[in-house]
Amino acid sequence: MNSITVVIADRLQITRLGIYSILRQLDYPVNIREISRPEKLFGTPFKNPSNILITSVSFLVHANKTVSGLLEFLMQFTCKIIIHDQEASDGIIAAFNEAIEYNDPEKIILRKIDRQLSFLLQTHPAPRENYEISEREKEVLRLVALGLTNKEIGERLFISSHTVITHRKNISAKLGIKTIAGLTVYAVIHKLIRIDDIHRDSS
Amino acid sequence: MQITRSMKMADMIHMNYLLLPIISRFNIKLGCGDKSIDQVCKENSIDVYFFLEIVNSFHDKNYFPKKQLQGFPLKLIVDYLRNSHEHYLHVKVPYIEDLIHQLLLDSYSGNTELSTLINKFFNDYKSELEDHINREEIKVYPYVFAIEKAFRSKKPSPDIIELTNKYSMDDFIHEHDNIEDKLFDLKNLIIKYIPPPEDIHLCNTILIELFRLEADLNDHARIEDKVLVPKVKFMEKWIYEHVLQ
Repeated sequence: MNSITVVIADRLQITRLGIYSILRQLDYPVNIREISRPEKLFGTPFKNPSNILITSVSFLVHANKTVSGLLEFLMQFTCKIIIHDQEASDGIIAAFNEAIEYNDPEKIILRKIDRQLSFLLQTHPAPRENYEISEREKEVLRLVALGLTNKEIGERLFISSHTVITHRKNISAKLGIKTIAGLTVYAVIHKLIRIDDIHRDSS
Repeated sequence: MQITRSMKMADMIHMNYLLLPIISRFNIKLGCGDKSIDQVCKENSIDVYFFLEIVNSFHDKNYFPKKQLQGFPLKLIVDYLRNSHEHYLHVKVPYIEDLIHQLLLDSYSGNTELSTLINKFFNDYKSELEDHINREEIKVYPYVFAIEKAFRSKKPSPDIIELTNKYSMDDFIHEHDNIEDKLFDLKNLIIKYIPPPEDIHLCNTILIELFRLEADLNDHARIEDKVLVPKVKFMEKWIYEHVLQ
């Protein structure tokens, strides 16, 4: 459900794990994907424009790409972070939004990644999951709680029983309540029906 | 870590206290000192291998050496299932019911509508569970024993076919309804929707008990599905082949 994927591309497990643990600490709602082989990174199309790439100079060197090919590939990512040692050439690093040095202390690494992620999340907010039931669903829920069958509900609301079933599935998924008895309790608590209505309708 | 016969009973409980109700279902009393599981089982005339299969299958969800459990006579499994039923109906459910009554009295006495609803909800759940259990006691177990008897006799009479036409393990699988659904809903109603009660401690106790009952019922259903059903189906098949020849 998150719209942002952070791709961690490095050949070393220890680097990937380190970045992973920092992302966990930051606790942003992002998907994390690890890639260990250059051909895998370059062979995968990244359609989502709001992806973040975190990779290292040594990883890119092993990719055997021309500089222009590399730059073109990097264009796919909204945000690019490079990990390098002190001897790295400025040429490649300039193509990245942020550069992390291997000997950076934890605090600095956290701050560098945090800056990029918080900016991207502001401009590409993740869509909120919808747990609220719609007006139509509320109406269906009311009738279910009153003890009407799917067929009766369909007739009252001028929809097919099939549509009623779809509504009911969505209601149960959103509320986390599966049984009619449970939905009835919910409906009374939320004043969608009164307890006396139940007895009248079912008699 | 797997539970073995040489392990001390006390150590097993220290390792996983959730096994306590299982132990009492075998009528094993506490105060077992440093006795091994083997010793305790011997003293209580319990088949230690059957005991180990049950506790291990509860202790570790992925543990299920069906083959080993299949070797036991059906009576052991059915007796065990019956004891669990007793425990649900006469110990666990009444206990939770008392707690709920107390909660309603303490925190929701001003809200008769809600109290009535929750009471009715739990009563409905209780009778559903009772129906479910009664059906197994009255219909399923006698059938299961009849099949085992016919199987053991090595020359089943044709009458048994008539019996299986009326009822078989396939019917049992189909009528295995979801008694957990209501339990799931009750938990969610308390966690998410009911106005928070004054007595939080009592409310937490109820929730924890509901979670435990649910887990226990799931394990119980697992033993039925993974042990009882395949064993009886195997016998049914054998009988069909030997009577209809």
